[in-house]
Amino acid sequence: MSQPPRLFASPLARRLAAAAGIDLATLTGSGPHGRIVKADVEAAKAAPRPAPPVPAAAPAPAPVPQAPGVTAPATGYTDLPLSPMRRTIARRLTEAKATIPHFYLTVDIEMDAVLALREQLNTRLAPDKLSVNDFILRAVALGLRAVPEANAAWAETAIRRFTEIDIAIAVATPEGLITPIVRQADRKGLGELSAEVKALAARARDGGLKPEEYQGGGFTISNLGMYGVREFAAIINPPQACILAVGAADPRPVVKAGALAVATMMSVTLSVDHRTVDGATGARFLAALKGLLEDPLRMML
Amino acid sequence: MAESTSDLIVIGGGPGGYVAAIRAAQLGLSVTLIERAHLGGICLNWGCIPTKALLRSAEIYRLMGEADSFGLSTGPLGFDLDRIVARSRDVAGRLQAGVRHLLKKNKVTVIEGSARLSGPGQVAVEGKGAFTAPHIILATGARARLLPGFEPDGRFLWSYREALTPDILPKRLVVIGSGAIGIEFASFFAAFGSEVTVVEALDRILPVEDQEISALARTAFERQGIRIHTGAKVVGLTRHESHVEIAAEAGGQSLRLPADRVIVAIGITGNVEEIGLDTTRARVEKGHIVTDSLCRTDQPGLYAIGDVAGPPWLAHKASHEGVLCVEAIAGLTGLHPIDPRHIPGCTYGHPQIASVGLTEAAALAQGHTLRIGRFPFAANGKAIALGEADGLVKTVFDATSGELLGAHIIGPEATEMIQGYAVAGTLEATEAELIATIFPHPTLSEAMHEAVLAAFGRALHI
Repeated sequence: MSQPPRLFASPLARRLAAAAGIDLATLTGSGPHGRIVKADVEAAKAAPRPAPPVPAAAPAPAPVPQAPGVTAPATGYTDLPLSPMRRTIARRLTEAKATIPHFYLTVDIEMDAVLALREQLNTRLAPDKLSVNDFILRAVALGLRAVPEANAAWAETAIRRFTEIDIAIAVATPEGLITPIVRQADRKGLGELSAEVKALAARARDGGLKPEEYQGGGFTISNLGMYGVREFAAIINPPQACILAVGAADPRPVVKAGALAVATMMSVTLSVDHRTVDGATGARFLAALKGLLEDPLRMML
Repeated sequence: MAESTSDLIVIGGGPGGYVAAIRAAQLGLSVTLIERAHLGGICLNWGCIPTKALLRSAEIYRLMGEADSFGLSTGPLGFDLDRIVARSRDVAGRLQAGVRHLLKKNKVTVIEGSARLSGPGQVAVEGKGAFTAPHIILATGARARLLPGFEPDGRFLWSYREALTPDILPKRLVVIGSGAIGIEFASFFAAFGSEVTVVEALDRILPVEDQEISALARTAFERQGIRIHTGAKVVGLTRHESHVEIAAEAGGQSLRLPADRVIVAIGITGNVEEIGLDTTRARVEKGHIVTDSLCRTDQPGLYAIGDVAGPPWLAHKASHEGVLCVEAIAGLTGLHPIDPRHIPGCTYGHPQIASVGLTEAAALAQGHTLRIGRFPFAANGKAIALGEADGLVKTVFDATSGELLGAHIIGPEATEMIQGYAVAGTLEATEAELIATIFPHPTLSEAMHEAVLAAFGRALHI
């Protein structure tokens, strides 16, 4: 019944992995149908070895010293077979983190004005509601219009500057992360953006997105604010140059006019591919974003 | 003039271009294919296919000459060169019609004319108008590289084209260059009685093949009466009334080679001129367009495949690149660049020569510790029954990993059998799977099995 899932690997890959002491189950196959091939084993040999997996939280008996090379008996954990989507995510993110020269820029943005505006608008829109994320999306779209250099991708032999502002939104699904795209986001009002994001996210969770709805895009937003995450650094979604990691908006002490005050602050971190976008450009984009969110009436124009 | 738009334009209808067009159509792209001469390209019309038709005539003629040893009697042997050539042209014609039909079936728009890039995503075809597409694949192929002073003259000096439609059977033929093309023509004309001399500048014939195979090929050809000069540099040409004389130098010696006809087959050069490359950022190096592993040039939206994109100059490499290029354009994921080690190469002389992967010398140069297997066809029952017991199968394995690094065959049906090793290499088989594979008896392919066994000291029949 509970046989381990069949592992597809070429005979040569199996032999090379065995010789190098690499567990094939830890590899992602790049061959046809995710088959593990020689190149995957060689990549793993070249890469630093990951720390061994942390055992499940069950209280473990006192550790028994183990001779090197002896495999622990298969108890205390469950191996979940990888779905094709999980393999793709693993491969793409490993590639991105390993090959893209990331740098990170963080700013704090005062969100009281957005929250007040949102409350006003929502009383009129009821029962529909705008989320804070809708405002962020609108601000990012207008920010990219102001700093088009950030709406770009690394194309190996060129820097590709996008002419349309198409923004990918990271959506968590049971299968893993997917990034549906809001096309021409700068030409859409808050209500339209809000409705579109809701529809895309719902279909993303049902697995009903068409490829053209999640392929492409020039910039990604990943928001974990709803989980109370204060700030984080996201991995770039290649070939795009920038991803914005959005944290929670919460009341924090701030200094205003030399006096301590309380404001609702939100930290955002921009992860940037330095091949495509330089630090000053990333900073200009964040300054534009901050300006729009702190004076949100400008976004209504 | 009217402007037509499609998803993809393919320039050149050879085995790279027409296959790319069909694959693109299968993936739902609208495709325009522009061809200036004939669908199927050089391969189908003036290369791979018509030479195989000629060599089939040569093979049957040779077998007829050996009929007595099979207990058969024939009348006096004869041949009609014009009819041999006519059959070869007929074969090419039939296949060209086949390609036309396939393109039509796949709703590929075929434009006849010379295409020229006229700006990003734009192609002009004289007399046919302007064509635009976001993606353009250059599959313009290549042509014979000329040897200065030995340019084809339509009379004594032949290019492959005259050699495929010979006006006479030359009494004395000199072939300059001993790659696959030179060797195939040498084999053909020698079979029908021409006195053939092959002149090769490098130190061995079929220089891309394994050294041991090259040496065996030389012995086999010399036994058939083909004269071979290696390390020989052609230095001059004297034209006489009804023949020419080639002066060459080899190892400090001067050679004078009288010839009724001369075939120059010293390699090819990409068709990179007159296609408007100067309007793009694409780079040309050594007569070929520079591309990355997914066939992209430096100009976004412009791709190059096949001979124009560089060696190995093989139709099947062109076709495979065409498929890969189009699949990347269509956004398919998980694509793997072509590993040149998995591209087989074939020479259809008598004997046939075929190989895939590294030669013994190349594998050593890469630092591998080797296990080499050899098995002669003289020990293969089917080869003996066929009366084709000359030749050898040679395998090159990495001693540590058991990876099949290369395989080399000289002998009967070598070109049909090499794909067995190509499949094994692509699947990353080790010696264990090859040893465990059951080869049918009696077949020539058993020699392939034995050559694997031999590499690990386990050959059964030697």
